[in-house]
Amino acid sequence: MHLIVNGVEREVDSAPLTPLLHVLREELGITSPKAGCQQGGCGSCTVLVGGEPRRSCLLAVATCEGFEVTTVEGLGTPERLAPLQAAFHEQYGAQCGFCTPGMLMASHALLERTPSPSRRDIESALAGHLCRCTGYVKIIAAVEAAARGDVASDQREPSLADADPSEPDVLIPGSPA
Amino acid sequence: MKHRGRGISAIEYPTGMNQNGDPSQVWIKLKPDGRVDVFSGTSDIGNGSKTIQTQIVAETLGVPYDWITYDNSNTDSSPLDTGTFASRATFVAGNAVLKAAKAAREKVLEIASKELEIDASDLDVVDGEVVAKGAPSKSISVPDVAVAATWTYGELLTGVGAHLNPFATITDPETGEVDLPPHAAISYASCAAEVEVDDETGEVRVERLWQCFDVGRAINPLLVEGQIEGGAMMGLGLAVLEECYPYYPGVDHRGPEFGAYLAPGIKGMPKVDTLIIENPSAGGPYGAKGISEMANNPQPPAIAAAVYDAVGVWITQLPITPERILRALERKERGEGEPRREGKLVSFDEELSVNTVAAEGSVFQYSLPT
Amino acid sequence: MKVVGARLPRYDGIGHVTGRTRYVDDVRVPGMLWAKALRSPVDHAGIRVDTSAAARIRGVHAVVTHEDVPRNVYGHLEALGIPGDEPLFAEDVVRYKGQPIALVAAEDEDLAAEAVEAIRVDYDERPALFDIRKAADTDAPKVHHWGNWYPHFEGEMDRRQIRKGDVDRAFDQADVIVSGVYRPAAIEHCPIEPQTGLAVPEPDGRLTIYSVTQALYFSMGVVAAHLEWPLNKLKFVGGTVGGGFGGKVDTAADTPAALAALKSGRPVKWRWTREEELLCSSTRAPWHMEIADAVTSDGWILGRRMLTLHDSGAYARFSPYGLTKHSFHHTGAYTIPNLHFDGYVVFTNRVPTTAMRGFGVTGLSFATELHVSRIANVLGIDPFELRLKNANRIGDTSPNRIALPDPSTVPTILDIADALGHELPAEYRTMTRDRRDGELLPEHLVAQLASTEEAH
Repeated sequence: MHLIVNGVEREVDSAPLTPLLHVLREELGITSPKAGCQQGGCGSCTVLVGGEPRRSCLLAVATCEGFEVTTVEGLGTPERLAPLQAAFHEQYGAQCGFCTPGMLMASHALLERTPSPSRRDIESALAGHLCRCTGYVKIIAAVEAAARGDVASDQREPSLADADPSEPDVLIPGSPA
Repeated sequence: MKHRGRGISAIEYPTGMNQNGDPSQVWIKLKPDGRVDVFSGTSDIGNGSKTIQTQIVAETLGVPYDWITYDNSNTDSSPLDTGTFASRATFVAGNAVLKAAKAAREKVLEIASKELEIDASDLDVVDGEVVAKGAPSKSISVPDVAVAATWTYGELLTGVGAHLNPFATITDPETGEVDLPPHAAISYASCAAEVEVDDETGEVRVERLWQCFDVGRAINPLLVEGQIEGGAMMGLGLAVLEECYPYYPGVDHRGPEFGAYLAPGIKGMPKVDTLIIENPSAGGPYGAKGISEMANNPQPPAIAAAVYDAVGVWITQLPITPERILRALERKERGEGEPRREGKLVSFDEELSVNTVAAEGSVFQYSLPT
Repeated sequence: MKVVGARLPRYDGIGHVTGRTRYVDDVRVPGMLWAKALRSPVDHAGIRVDTSAAARIRGVHAVVTHEDVPRNVYGHLEALGIPGDEPLFAEDVVRYKGQPIALVAAEDEDLAAEAVEAIRVDYDERPALFDIRKAADTDAPKVHHWGNWYPHFEGEMDRRQIRKGDVDRAFDQADVIVSGVYRPAAIEHCPIEPQTGLAVPEPDGRLTIYSVTQALYFSMGVVAAHLEWPLNKLKFVGGTVGGGFGGKVDTAADTPAALAALKSGRPVKWRWTREEELLCSSTRAPWHMEIADAVTSDGWILGRRMLTLHDSGAYARFSPYGLTKHSFHHTGAYTIPNLHFDGYVVFTNRVPTTAMRGFGVTGLSFATELHVSRIANVLGIDPFELRLKNANRIGDTSPNRIALPDPSTVPTILDIADALGHELPAEYRTMTRDRRDGELLPEHLVAQLASTEEAH
């Protein structure tokens, strides 16, 4: 069978009931979608199938024939980040990074259909995505920043000049240092 | 009916392995063009240690941040780091990085001093340039220093650093006395929680958390915020959502998927207000202290105290489930919620105590004066 | 240009947002086999194992049991004097549901799982102990070869003890004694990346292990100890972990994968399922804490008696270390001069518990802080004021008599009061962390104070 992955037609030899996640990771070498639970519970395997966010761990590859499959690799590159990717980077929306591909795909799909999402919209879109590191605060901030167009640059690494050193909220003077 | 309540907590937490004795080692080399390679053994588990340690090198060595490559990938090239736990990556491993960067800086100044014919103590390294203090026109770039080291003097520019707080021995196991401080530093935090409790369903919603953390020195405030925000959700999970054994101490019904094990999701997040204090530590790099573990400690007691404030029941078992709330409210209504009072003793939770549950004569049992 | 203090994005952030960060499961090695484990379905039993049927299945390249491990018993903290007590693979007894008995390496995961089913095990079930409070009952089932609680603290003591001042006198002088029992639960680390180990035999006879460990050298030491190898025969590759929180120090997947790789001569990956993570992986420990505080009616905490039972599960792992740390901090952020603490590491027939974020102190903070809130309530004192009065100050000493050079308890409490808009009387509003004197130095706190030299 054939899949169109990130705009490129790929031939697939795996059996029809093989989960799309396994086909992408093991057969096609596309490793951004993660095997976090393989129960559909964590969202880290999320890719877009026909533009819709789907749990690739639960999707038999045969059902994707003829559909465009999009993964994080298709969103942008280190040399040319998508605004959403730059926003996640600048807003510190990724700590260990393992849930990030799934978060990015679900957020991307949200912004495509709802360019100015409310906080509620963002929460609903990411409701089934688990993150154990960030506490979600900066993930939401990243999506909001991307929606606002509040992204410093699409180039690799914002320059140091943008990272102004901040003063602490409270400094206790005279302490040993 | 829904009831609101507030509760607070104030905690402390040590930096470094308990009793210390946990070394970290780092080595640095400069390439012939002056770029810097850092070899550290610290695993980055999401805490951002790659970033923090690179920042420390940039600041200490005096070179731009993006001149540095950081390699913690394997044990052939990186020396020993005890591990990323016990909140030690910024303090202990960070100190090793700091020392290595200082040593590399000295080597750079040594070569620069020969090239400029100025005493090393009169030189500084700023943004990749070695400049004479007070006479900035006399300078040589770090890349040129590296070229000179490689092809004129036949030297490799390196720096090695290791940090170890000596092991604190328990000198008297009967009292717990130790001969040295058993920690690298201590961090402090306070927290307040506001909850809403539904007395018909027993559900506890954590509406707001205020958190104040003393981090010593925020090497990267963005990363510190990330730890505090992430820790808040983990603390919330411990307080009201998560349990491996729903019928503890029994082992049954341990849930095999996320429908049964309730890790906190994005819906129902509290509003989190964070305040960062810097009370620098005596020994940490640039005064830093560890906080990543402590980040999930202050919320559960603040939430439990808030529950009492809301509906008048003390839940001392975690998580604070709807079932526990409703049973406690029922007991309270029956007049059974009060502690036992005898003389000056005010005794809560006796039904949970070893004095009640263990068999007569168990060595765990004890008595209290009244 | 100041770098320390700058709000810089992550060094590895670009990799994270482009899906290019390489975790262990993303490493691709030709000829790799997949592994599955046989785990005990019962809580406590004598076992007899026959793997012959599994080994015969076509496509199965290795079946590994305790017989394949040069040194099967290990102790995570032998370097700290805590003897080894836990087998890598069970030998003739299983002590918890989920305990690994064997590992199969095969061409694919399904085949490995099928082979696991073919391993024959006879289980001779024994009574199990789950309630740590009942571990000292004369008729309690016996969990561990050392007895039901850890007996190897310094001086071969069977508990962690803190004694300071005169707790009997404190209780005598108290106006009120408040006691309570606190029981925080076992929870999962639940990182989104599961335990994964990939072991690759190298042409020069070395073994490369791609590991999710939080501690490369520590885990390398654990594997080397099991294999009885020098460290330079191993190369650990990692340092990029999808969340740990203390659960990826146990070195759960590396040695079994290594043994299967050595036996088959092929690279072997053992990736835990989420079911294994949620049912069989080590957890945060449940704690049982009984606190009795001797207090005055104006809110001084004169003394504390505390009993802690720590549920270690079936083996010791890091529990003696965790309990020790717990004992050193059992007064929390307050200066309590008279102390009587006893703590036990108790064994039960559940998955061994391990370090998790805040190890030893997280559950303690829950207990001691809730207890202090209760005291305030019983005495009718403002909970901020009670805390501020007893808060650590410069020169106060810890439970093990270490001078505190610079505690920030007072500033953090005042900042929270501020944030809440909570009114405090002037004398509390102006409190600092400076050395105690005057009204903040009642008689009962004099003896514990460190000299000014000691406090630096």
